[in-house]
Amino acid sequence: MATASMAKKTVRINGCVASAQAAKYSDVDVITAYPIRPYTATMMALAQMVANGELDAEYIVADSEHSQLSIAHGAASSGARVFTGSSGVGVHYAYELYSPISGSRMPVQMMIADRTLDPPGDFGSEHTDALATRDMGWLMGWSCDAQEAFDNHLIAYRIGEDPRVLLPQMVCQDGFFVSHITTDVALPDSGQVKEFLPPYKHPYPLDPRHPVSHGPQIMPEQGPPLQLERARAMEGAMTVIEEAHEEFARVFGRRYDPWIEEFMTDGADVVFFMQGGHAVTARHAIRHMRERGAKVGLVRLRTIRPYPTDRVMASLSRFKVVGVVETNMGLGSVSSGGSLYAEACAALYESDKRPLVLSFMAGMGGEAIVLKEFYWMTNKLLEAQKRGKIEKRTHWVGFEE
Amino acid sequence: MAVIEIERQMLPMLGSPNQGARFYNPDLPQTEPFVPGHRTCAGCGPSIQYRMTSKASGDNTILVGPTGCMYVANSSYLCTPYNVPWAHTQIGSAGSFTAGVAAAYEAMIRKGKWKGAFPNIICEAGDGSASDIGLASISGALYRDHDCLIICYDNEQYANTGIQASSRTPYGGMTTFSPPGPMVPEAKKLFPKDLARMMAAGHPHCYVATATVGYPIDLMNKVRKGLNHKGAAFLMIYTPCQKGFVYETPRSIDLGRLVVECGLYPIWEWNHEAREYDYSFRPQHMRPVSEYLKLQGRFGHLHAEHIAKLQKFANEQWRMMGVEVPEALVRATNPETIADMASAEAAAAVAHTV
Amino acid sequence: MSTKGTHIPDWLQVPFAGITPAPSQTKGQDLFPTGNWRAIRPVYRDKMPPCNNACGTNEKIQGYLDLVKRGKYLDAYALIKEDMPFPSVTGRVCYHPCEQACNRGQYDEAISIRAVERFLGDLGQALPKDVVQPGPPNGKKVAVVGSGPAGHSAAYQLARLGYEVTILEKSAKAGGLNRGGIPDWVLPKEVLDREIERLQELGVTIKTNVEVGKDVTWDDLRTKYDACVLAVGLTEPNSVRAEGEDKDGVLYGLPFLREIGMGTSTVKLGPRVAVIGGGNTAIDCAREALRQGAEEVTMITVESGKHEMPAVPEDLHDMLEEGVELMHGLAMTAVLGNGKVDALQLHPARFTGAINASPIDVDRETAPAKVAVDNVIIAVGQHAAIKWLPDEFKTERGTIKIDRFGRLGDTMFFAAGDIVQAGTGRQLMVVNAVGDGKRVAFNLDKAVRGEPQYERMAGGDVITDLNRMNMTYFPHFPRVQQAMLEPSSRKRTQDEVILSFSEEQAQEEANRCFSCGTCNACDNCYLVCPEPCIVRLDRSNGLYKILVDYCKGCRVCIEECPTGCLEGVPELDFDTGVVRMDTAFAITPGLHGRQAAELKTVADRTKEI
Repeated sequence: MATASMAKKTVRINGCVASAQAAKYSDVDVITAYPIRPYTATMMALAQMVANGELDAEYIVADSEHSQLSIAHGAASSGARVFTGSSGVGVHYAYELYSPISGSRMPVQMMIADRTLDPPGDFGSEHTDALATRDMGWLMGWSCDAQEAFDNHLIAYRIGEDPRVLLPQMVCQDGFFVSHITTDVALPDSGQVKEFLPPYKHPYPLDPRHPVSHGPQIMPEQGPPLQLERARAMEGAMTVIEEAHEEFARVFGRRYDPWIEEFMTDGADVVFFMQGGHAVTARHAIRHMRERGAKVGLVRLRTIRPYPTDRVMASLSRFKVVGVVETNMGLGSVSSGGSLYAEACAALYESDKRPLVLSFMAGMGGEAIVLKEFYWMTNKLLEAQKRGKIEKRTHWVGFEE
Repeated sequence: MAVIEIERQMLPMLGSPNQGARFYNPDLPQTEPFVPGHRTCAGCGPSIQYRMTSKASGDNTILVGPTGCMYVANSSYLCTPYNVPWAHTQIGSAGSFTAGVAAAYEAMIRKGKWKGAFPNIICEAGDGSASDIGLASISGALYRDHDCLIICYDNEQYANTGIQASSRTPYGGMTTFSPPGPMVPEAKKLFPKDLARMMAAGHPHCYVATATVGYPIDLMNKVRKGLNHKGAAFLMIYTPCQKGFVYETPRSIDLGRLVVECGLYPIWEWNHEAREYDYSFRPQHMRPVSEYLKLQGRFGHLHAEHIAKLQKFANEQWRMMGVEVPEALVRATNPETIADMASAEAAAAVAHTV
Repeated sequence: MSTKGTHIPDWLQVPFAGITPAPSQTKGQDLFPTGNWRAIRPVYRDKMPPCNNACGTNEKIQGYLDLVKRGKYLDAYALIKEDMPFPSVTGRVCYHPCEQACNRGQYDEAISIRAVERFLGDLGQALPKDVVQPGPPNGKKVAVVGSGPAGHSAAYQLARLGYEVTILEKSAKAGGLNRGGIPDWVLPKEVLDREIERLQELGVTIKTNVEVGKDVTWDDLRTKYDACVLAVGLTEPNSVRAEGEDKDGVLYGLPFLREIGMGTSTVKLGPRVAVIGGGNTAIDCAREALRQGAEEVTMITVESGKHEMPAVPEDLHDMLEEGVELMHGLAMTAVLGNGKVDALQLHPARFTGAINASPIDVDRETAPAKVAVDNVIIAVGQHAAIKWLPDEFKTERGTIKIDRFGRLGDTMFFAAGDIVQAGTGRQLMVVNAVGDGKRVAFNLDKAVRGEPQYERMAGGDVITDLNRMNMTYFPHFPRVQQAMLEPSSRKRTQDEVILSFSEEQAQEEANRCFSCGTCNACDNCYLVCPEPCIVRLDRSNGLYKILVDYCKGCRVCIEECPTGCLEGVPELDFDTGVVRMDTAFAITPGLHGRQAAELKTVADRTKEI
């Protein structure tokens, strides 16, 4: 049974379905599913595709997220292309597996539709679920709409399965704002995908004809070279990430900067620095503010792991004030706010021209960041610019004057 | 495009070439997927089992090793005794990683991405993994009927972490998490989970059986039956641990027989077609539980009342198997007929030097 | 880039992602030779099985039983023939000290070894050409005086060593006690004749009706031959020194049987026959008497009960089954009758010391009993007729004096069999005579070649304690019984009483053999090793090798060895060349780098599955 052949078309789908389509186009071999809102819709779509015969894959309803990722690990170790996903606490239920999967160099792909972590239950989107795993060695980045989600999934397989990389990928999208809002998505034809994405071939799979052992116990002395190798893989991925995006542009005609998207940054004094779906609103807000003469722009981080330190430094150093929009919780962090602030500041530390940096807790709990809030935030940035000093490192949007 | 039929291996049963007085082993397969040079303890019961299992399975095999002695001791340090593919996985991922391997091969063979007979996929999970932290993942794998064999090598404790109680540790079993003391003279008050029966009862479409290293050919045949079964199979195999049980090292196989002869580890097979238990296995002798307990230091603290309680448990196991309990074993449930383990006659010499 | 400029030194090289290539099945995981953990090393040391040890000629009984188990009957027969020339004979007549010694007797029932030997002997007789060949001729001539078991055995071994052997037999037919002392219904004459034929096929010349001391002298022997074996046996029957022993109708055991065996008997027995004596010859006489027409046969013994009689218990049982009466504690003090015996006078008697080896104390105070008989057969042992032997070589007991090698002083004369064993405490039986003849033949050969000679071999480590073996592996199984003719009919015929094993029976019985102390390739050790570090070299002859680089000395193999051939040897000095592991690392630096390099080639090597 073969996966169906598809022709180019534009469809009106949400981010979840776009991810499912990407998995189908990628002819994945094994899908592991476990229900948790809001990513479940991806797995529902895939179940129907498999049932319809559109996609030939083993569709496994796991008994938990921990099992989901373990099944994925086992399948990838055997040489199968694997697709899985989760949201919120589900992402954390599987936490034990992230380092092993990454350290064993298995290019599992995980679709994450963000959801605020408990307590209590809250279907709305915060990025903490995936962000909290950012040091585990997975390639990670956020899409801001369904089209980008679809594209990022394909690009992620291409990068992750590259023999120079061999790392798992978390392709993240905001729950609801991306996952459940329907937009136009241009789907390619199968031939384009075939050209762009070679078959997955791990150099040392679990194959009885070429027996190897994965993950023997080591002594501490043997640890450092292995850790170094992991670090090299993550850093080495940067070249491959750039190649892949270049190739994507060539084959599909859509070009993305691998690392950051700059929007109306020409001549900007202050910029928002953020990732994910709220950037869509941000663009609208910036357009309006620009019309009113505010010199504000947007720098959207597309890939957070590996962190494009030099690019971020080069980019943000051109501005006077940087406002990091944190749609995540970094309790007790450097900024007493979220997690992105610290990384941005660290990236800027070596710069000759460090801007002022402050952060905004916005969109928490999955609330929309409305235009008014962007205007308020922009004012804060401009005030800081005028003052020449930040008021404080973190502002809680909607809770302050 | 033509549908690719997946070829599955069918391994023949090892028969004894002659019944009756002859005791020769059948002609054993030559291949040794498990090779020496691993750092398990001398006389390690799980190693003995691992070797027999992998020999029975052959070269077209993939082994999965959740964290435990059969991961750590076997592969320390950055080495491997496995001549077939093997992967470490998390202690709770026994069933799930294995399911992933099985699913991968179903997909890859069907989609023409891998050519060959479907590999024998065997997960070797300790009882800590299988009965506690990995229970759900194994149940999931059995329920979903992946074509694989999941083995619980049951040494009745978490051995690799230095001997701690698991839900398979027997009543009265001393471990570092269940030490004896004035508040707990029996050391461990709880009777173990009947893991194998849980798996049989809960997943009646699977092949489920118990075995011990005391009956190697039976063990190897059950491994083959499990592998031949199209779908999921589960074996719970008693594998004594010298470190945790504290016995004279050469007795590993002997303990595997004694535990059955004392009724503490019934050997049975679940017939998934007839949906009933096959209790036909009979050990050569029936013995009182003290014959088994006295050989192990981990039971050295038991008083007569505790031993009597274990005898009662053993008698229940016999009855479950449809075996009539002889008068002597019924009497042995009366504490007055039993000596404490600590008394000189009851305990056999454990530390035996050259 | 933080990893820019980093370099992993050679000694820290590890394979990609810690993925290790599979080790070799033949070399093991050679990064870690775990052998230096052990304090005890298992070794295969075959012990002496009690059957081999008890056999008068040290047949390799365990060995041939093992071959029978495997269906290799010809090899088994050939193995017997190394030490025993006529298994068809001993398979019928031997008193089987092997079965008495058999360890299985402590467990359930001894192996029916004699019956298996008979099965193999008969198989050998059926071969058109025997498996044994004469040795390349060495130009030396040997005379063997006597064609009984000892002489036959000596001649057989000497022929295999290349000697030109001439047997000098005083009777008309060859065979000695085999022919003359053992009835046809135990050992049919065709079977014996065939064995004698086999001996002649080896080039041995047999001259019958030649008696030393009459037809041939001591000096003839000394000068005409390079060496000589005297196996003349004890041919003269003992007397009980009773009054009237010279009357008609008084017969002596051995001559009675011998004449029947030679076919020259003219004896006509009356209906009531008494046999004096409690040994095997007496039993044979009693049973033969029934077949010669006696209606009532009574055996009269000094021994106070069956348990004291020096007879083989089965034969005693078979005799009683045939209806012979048994009287104990009596000695015949007079033969009554007018020129011909018609009654016996019996007084109570007992041995003063060892049974059958001490003077008899007769109680003449008590009134004697009288038993009416037509014939009495006196079977109380034999003595030698060696008038022709120089006196210096005679012992006080009337046997030949030999040194511990069986040699007469410095001469090239050797003696073997009953003629030297009588009175030494060794039981006088066929197999002991065969063994003696064999050893003497080898010593003769050594003497001829000027080499040192050997005494009878000591037992070595004879294994008799079941605790040294593992009984778990032996289910209880009854002894396979040979079929027998029915007692009431068989006592009237010369038909063989005990019937042969079939092939299935022989195998079934051989299967019961424990193979005491001797490896028989059961594969137990191979199967239970946790490493595994026991390698099968050649399963058919039971050779295994322990990989000492890896053996941790757990001794599970020793415990599970059913035969007890594995034992533990303390090893604290690591003098076997095992590398000590001081660190947790691989034993030499760079081995993980080797793994790294090997891993890269994994895709190029395809394992057959």
